[in-house]
Parts: sequence; structure tokens; C-alpha cells
Amino acid sequence: MTESKHGVVIVGGGTAGISAAAELAQLGIKSVVIDEAPRIGGPVFRGPFREAISLPHLDENLCQKIADIRELYQKNQQYIELRLNTRVLGPSGESALLARHQDEVFEIPYDQLIVATGCHERSVPFDGWQIPGVMLLGGVQLQLKSGLVKPGQRMAVVGTGPLLPLVATQLHKAGVVVTGVFEAGKLGDFAKESRAFLNRPMLALEGVGLLTYLKTNGIPMHYGMGIVSASGEDCLTGITVAQYDRDWYPVKGTEKTLDVDCLAVGYGFVSRNQLTQLLNVAHDNCQISGLKPRVDDWQHSSRPDVYIAGDSVGILGGEAAMMEGRLAAISVAKQQDIISLEQARAKAKPYKNLLDKVKAFRAGFDRIGRRREGLLSLLTADTIVCRCENVTRAQIDEVIEQGVKDITSLKMRTRAGMGDCQGKTCNSYCQDRLRFELKQLDVGEIKPRFPLDPVPFSSLYKEIL
Amino acid sequence: MKKQYDIVIAGGGVIGAACAYFLSKEKDLNIALVDLKKPGNASRASAGGLWAIGESVGLGCGVIFFKQMTQQRAEAEGVDLPPMRPHILPDCFFEFALKSNDMYPALWQELKDKHGVDFKFEKTGLKYIMYDKFDKLYADSIVEQIPGLAEQINWLSAKELAIDEPHINADAIGALEFACDHQVNPYRLNEAYLEAARQNGVELFLQTPVTGVEKQGNKVTGVITEAGTLSCKTMINAAGAWAAELSEMATGIRIPVAPVKGQIILSERLPKILKGCVSTTDCYIAQKDNGEVLIGSTTEEKGFDTTNTLPEIKELANGAMRCIPELKQMNIKRCWAGLRPGTPDELPVLGKMDGIEGYINACGHFRTGILTSAITGKLINDLYRGQPLDIDITPFEYARFLKQKNEQQVPEVAPELA
Repeated sequence: MTESKHGVVIVGGGTAGISAAAELAQLGIKSVVIDEAPRIGGPVFRGPFREAISLPHLDENLCQKIADIRELYQKNQQYIELRLNTRVLGPSGESALLARHQDEVFEIPYDQLIVATGCHERSVPFDGWQIPGVMLLGGVQLQLKSGLVKPGQRMAVVGTGPLLPLVATQLHKAGVVVTGVFEAGKLGDFAKESRAFLNRPMLALEGVGLLTYLKTNGIPMHYGMGIVSASGEDCLTGITVAQYDRDWYPVKGTEKTLDVDCLAVGYGFVSRNQLTQLLNVAHDNCQISGLKPRVDDWQHSSRPDVYIAGDSVGILGGEAAMMEGRLAAISVAKQQDIISLEQARAKAKPYKNLLDKVKAFRAGFDRIGRRREGLLSLLTADTIVCRCENVTRAQIDEVIEQGVKDITSLKMRTRAGMGDCQGKTCNSYCQDRLRFELKQLDVGEIKPRFPLDPVPFSSLYKEIL
Repeated sequence: MKKQYDIVIAGGGVIGAACAYFLSKEKDLNIALVDLKKPGNASRASAGGLWAIGESVGLGCGVIFFKQMTQQRAEAEGVDLPPMRPHILPDCFFEFALKSNDMYPALWQELKDKHGVDFKFEKTGLKYIMYDKFDKLYADSIVEQIPGLAEQINWLSAKELAIDEPHINADAIGALEFACDHQVNPYRLNEAYLEAARQNGVELFLQTPVTGVEKQGNKVTGVITEAGTLSCKTMINAAGAWAAELSEMATGIRIPVAPVKGQIILSERLPKILKGCVSTTDCYIAQKDNGEVLIGSTTEEKGFDTTNTLPEIKELANGAMRCIPELKQMNIKRCWAGLRPGTPDELPVLGKMDGIEGYINACGHFRTGILTSAITGKLINDLYRGQPLDIDITPFEYARFLKQKNEQQVPEVAPELA
């Protein structure tokens, strides 16, 4: 049996992380779960930051799932050391992480590491996207679910994917006037994917339920339409939407303006790969999820001691994250010789079956919502792409004109991606743009830097030099 | 048909880019430059100090290293810590560094005017901050050893320092300032040379790995890349920390260039808190054009490893907080590590190699590639064209390592002869 000194450390207390910790607990293995938030559950199932008597805008299904994940943790908590409000800054040497809690910076050693860092939203810049009131879809949802605030009075939802009708429904239940939902995918494309959606009939049914809710409440759902621009001086006052052609270029003459004070924009998510990049595991480029770490059927990365689960290894949503977290836990138990390969296979089988179905279901949405080049046309010359360093589209045009062929050179010449967010916001546009101009998938990556979040100098202070 | 180049430059860091710029100024040659971004590329990782005197006397980049060496020697010999002695490089290096330094004001203007690129040259000076009498002794012995540079040296009293740099630790007893040591933005300098070279007609093969070198007998005839073979009459090795591998492919000889890791800390953007660049015996500190404060750097022989490590980062951060106490209230935004192309004698490897045709070294610039890129570009151009050189490059040629070897062998032979 492999001697275990430091045990298993799980980064991320969301669906994948807690599922992994619970499965490990079932196998008698202790783990440390680190999460940056004050509560477990990840953005999806974290629930309100303050206790509320009732949550009329959230459906029972969601409330149940929030309760479920908390119960899953509580049932197994003698095996789980939970470290909340703790941010991982990066690796420290070969088998430890450096983390920060309040003003203290310290190492967390591990024998096996499960990375379950989830995803962040994909920013799609367009004319007016930096006006206050323009928000990303997930952020809007977090305001509703965790912040318990109404993001706006009169809103529109634009983008692509299954989250659009869900957020529109939640907004409406919270008392927001939803003027319309604009899904870039064509209705015909959805019809074509009905076989894919039947892989998860319950999810498909839930989706139909949401669409029925929107219809009943007079919220129009537009297919094949999307954002063109947003306007307003100090805050958002209106948006322009239009029909998108096959490549998602807005069709001239179909523009429609809407008076709204808040806009939810959701063109997808990107795997949160900063830690896995710093861990030097192998990655692959993916059109949907961005750069994602490579794993085998057992969620095992190219490093023997690192496993990766959930959206951080490709955007598949909460249900898949649960399965992947459990699979990672079974792999760890197998590696520690706590269970045999046969036992592991038997345990993994139902999880893998369900995971395959979710993947087939999800592939339907990925085909419909694959980003098309037209999205790159929504910026004017002076639209800001990198918000940390105020880099405009014109500056990016200039260096592409100069023959820049990779994201690092683009960064060096424009400073796009050199700000505090380390490129999480502008990287998607810059990469898509380079790929489009060069007609190649690999344009290099913005290499994340240690520390992944800024740290105060004082946290490194030593009294005696 | 395959294109024939006069020159292929392997490596697009600051040295390769400078060579491309100087060689292309007359627009009379077919030149290609091949580059691949790798973790640890030194030009991007650099601090961007033009510390001609500072680096030559062991301040700046090397200061922590020499402090460690002094301590280790004292521990090994079991003696009390001797007062730290400055590590002074030979005269040929001073000449090389100072001549290069002199080129920057005009080069900055030229690249801005002719090519529309700005590498943010700033006149800053470099101050060596003294906290105690040992630091003062160290400064004294620096000054003693560079009598020819007296006019570039200013002594600042504690009071003068406090007026000039009010954010620096009030306990400092004064400073020694080198008036001619300035700074640039290192990656902008790199990109400025590249862009100017491109405007002059140099073909850039970016994101392109070099996989081999094509030869006919002892003559280099092409550079093999993933984008195909680039046939050439001359290849320039400007591969930085990777130069040894390339020289082996081209000449069969591994030149002694090896990666030397340096870790760096960068603060968030701050209002102007430093007028000039600063070196203490703990670290160097430079506030860059966009307000970020850069603190460097370690000197570590860890192969091609570019990870950041807590003890070293702590060391640098504490050195910086000691020098500028206000930093305690500020944030560290990023850290990174670069790989300097180090050589055994800390001098670059420049020029041709005996018995090899069509091959020129422009590598091994260790801590000072940014500073010495200008003179390197100029020298390589003059050398290629057979024009007289501004300085004698014999001390920088590969042949010096062979000579050293022969000299070392002399004592072994001598007793037998006797």
C-alpha cells in the first residue's frame, strides 16, 4: 500500500469537489477541501450568503440541490477538513500548494491532488459592453441566488445555451421585467439536436418546462438573434439586437432596440485552468471550453498525483461534475490500493454510464452554441478589449497587422492580459481573433503567473532579516 | 522554389531581434528570424535595467548571488563573515556595457521616428542604498576599483537621499548613485527591434520551433524548422539559454551556455514612489513606466525550471519592504522566473568559431542582454560585413574557453618536463 503522509487535497468545494470528498469518505479516505468562498456548493449550489426566510424566485429543485450538497458534506464531515475563505495561489514545490487565508500565506502539502476549480464566464466584447448594467449571465444568476438582489428592473437575456431560459425564469420570478430572451442558435438547430437531448430526458423536460413558463408569462424567446451593441452614458439605457446569419454576423436591417437597464450576456464558459497550467499538466485546446487539462477515463491528468474533475476539465455542468468528482475519488482509492481495479471498475460503472449520457446531451448544445466568427465583428475600433489595461480593438488590429501570431507576442505589444485578472476577461476574444486571422487553433496561451490572486507584501513579512 | 536567405537568426529574444534590426538597416540582405516562445525566455522576464556600471560592479541582478557566495565561503572556511566585497567584471566588459549604454538615447529616438515603436527609455540613475557601515565599505571599494568613472558617480547623504527619494527607508545612511544607469521596458525593447526589423523586410517566423541545422561538411547551409528548412549562407545563434543545444546542432560543439534562473516580483500599479532605480544588498527595485514596481532577482542553477518558490519570493519581498516600507500596504500582483543565458566567466559568447563556416554566436549575455543588445546588434552587423569593430571582441569569442583549458593543463604537464 502506498504510504500516505499528507493525504488528499481537493481544490474547490463545488459540486465536483464535494462529490469527490464524499466518495473518498465512503471509502474511508480523509481529505482536505479548499474553497475561496464562505460556503460550499460552488457558484451553482452555494445558495444565499445570508439566511432568508423564503426564496420565492428560486425553484424547489434548486433549493433541494443546495440542501443536498450541504447534507452530503455533513454526512461525511468526519472525513473532510473544510478550509473555506481560502484561496490557492499556486503550487509550491512538487507536492504542496501555496494558499492564503486572510493575511496569512501558507503551504498545504498533498500526496494526491484533485483539482475541481470549475469555470469562469467567457467574455464576449461588443460595442458598449463595459457600460454599468451589462453583466454576464452567471453573475446575474449569482446576484439572484447568493446575493439575493435584483440586478435590474427591466432586462434582456442574450447569448446561447440552456442557462438562458433558466435565468430568464429566475429573473421573472424575482420580479424583473424580462423584455426578451435572444438565443443565437437557430430553432431548426435545436430541433435537429432533439436526439442528443433525449440522452437526459429529465433535463430536456425541465428545459421544456422553462420554455412553457416563459411563454405563459409573455416573455418572448427569440432564436437566431443576438446582441449588436449596448448604449447609455453612465449606465445602461438600451440595447440593439438583431438576427444573426449562419456565421453569427448581425443581419443589416433586422436591428431592434430595447429599453433596458440591465443586460445578461451568456456566450458560454471557460474551464478555470490557471492552477492546472501552473501544475504543468498536459492541456488540449477545445473550441467550447478553451484550454482544458487532459485527463483519462479516470479523471487522471498527465501527472501521477493530479486528478481533475468538473467544469475545470471541460464544461459539462453540475451533474457531470458530480460523476467526475466521484470517479476521481475512486481513482485515488485505486492508486492508494484501498480498492482493487475490479472494485474500482464496478463502482465507476454507473457513474461512467451517466457521464456518457450527459456528454451526449451536452454535445447537442455545443453544436448549436459553437461560437461563430460574427461575434468578433461586434466591436468598434475603440471598444475596449482588455479592461485591466484599457487595450482597444484598434490596438489589437495594429499588432495583428504587424504579423503577431501568438497570444504572448500580442500581450507583450499591447499589454492585453497583463492586468490583475491575468487575461481571464480578454483572453477569449484575443484567442478567437488570432485563430480567425491565422486560421489555426493553436495560437499559444496566456501563461498564468504565480500568485493566481494578488497577495499583500505584508503576508510575506519577516521580523528579522 | 525554396527561398535562399543570406542570414537566418535563430532566436527572437532581445539579442536576436537587435541583430535582425542592425543587419536589416541597409535593407540589402535577405534575412529571416525564427522564434518560439518558451517558459523562461529571459528578455520577457527581464527587469529592463540599463545598469551599465551597476551590473559591471555586481549590483542589480547579481547582488543576492554574491552576498550568498560570500556567506557560503565564510561558512565553509569557518571564519567570521568578511565584509562583502564587490564582484567587479573585467575591463573589457565595462567597455562593452558602457558603449552599448551610450547608444540608447539615439536608438530610442530612431526607433520612434523611423518605425513608430517606443521602448520607454527613462533616465533614472541607479542608486545603491546603504543601511550601515558595511554597506558603506562595500560602496567605497566599488568606487576605489573604478577610478575612470568618477564623473558618473555621486555620493548622496542621508538627507539628500531623503529629499530625492522620500519613500525610501529613513534609516538609510546614504546612497551611491551611478548617473548613467537608466531603464527601458524590456519586452517593448524586444518587440521594438522585431517590429523595426520587420518593417525593414526581415521575415519573421514566430511560434516556430527550430528542429535542426542543415550542413555541408563544415558549412552551415540552413536552419531546419517546423515551417520547413530555411536555407541560408549564415546562421546566427541567438538562442539565449537554449544556445548550447543549437551550437551543438550547428557545429558539433556545445558552447558553455546554461540557464541561470532568476525570480522576480511585480507589485500592483502604484503612483510614482521611486524617481530612479535602486539596488541594495538584498535586491534591486525599479518602478516601471506603468507604475508597477519590479523587484528582483535570484540567481539559481535549476536547469530549465521556471517555478516560483516561497522562500526566495519571501527573501525578495522582505528586501523590498526594508527599502521601501510603504510596500507593506501594497499587493504583489505577479511573480515569474526567467532563464538567463549564463556562461562560466559571465561574459557573452560572440563571433565566429574556428573551422566552421556560416555560423556566428550572439549569445551568453547572462544578466545584461537588455543593456548590451544594442552593441551586440551593431557588432554582429559589422562583423558580418567585415567592417571595423567598435571594440575588440577577442575576450568574447568562443576560443577563449579553449585557451583557458590549455592554460589549466600547463601545470599538469610542467612537473614531468622538469
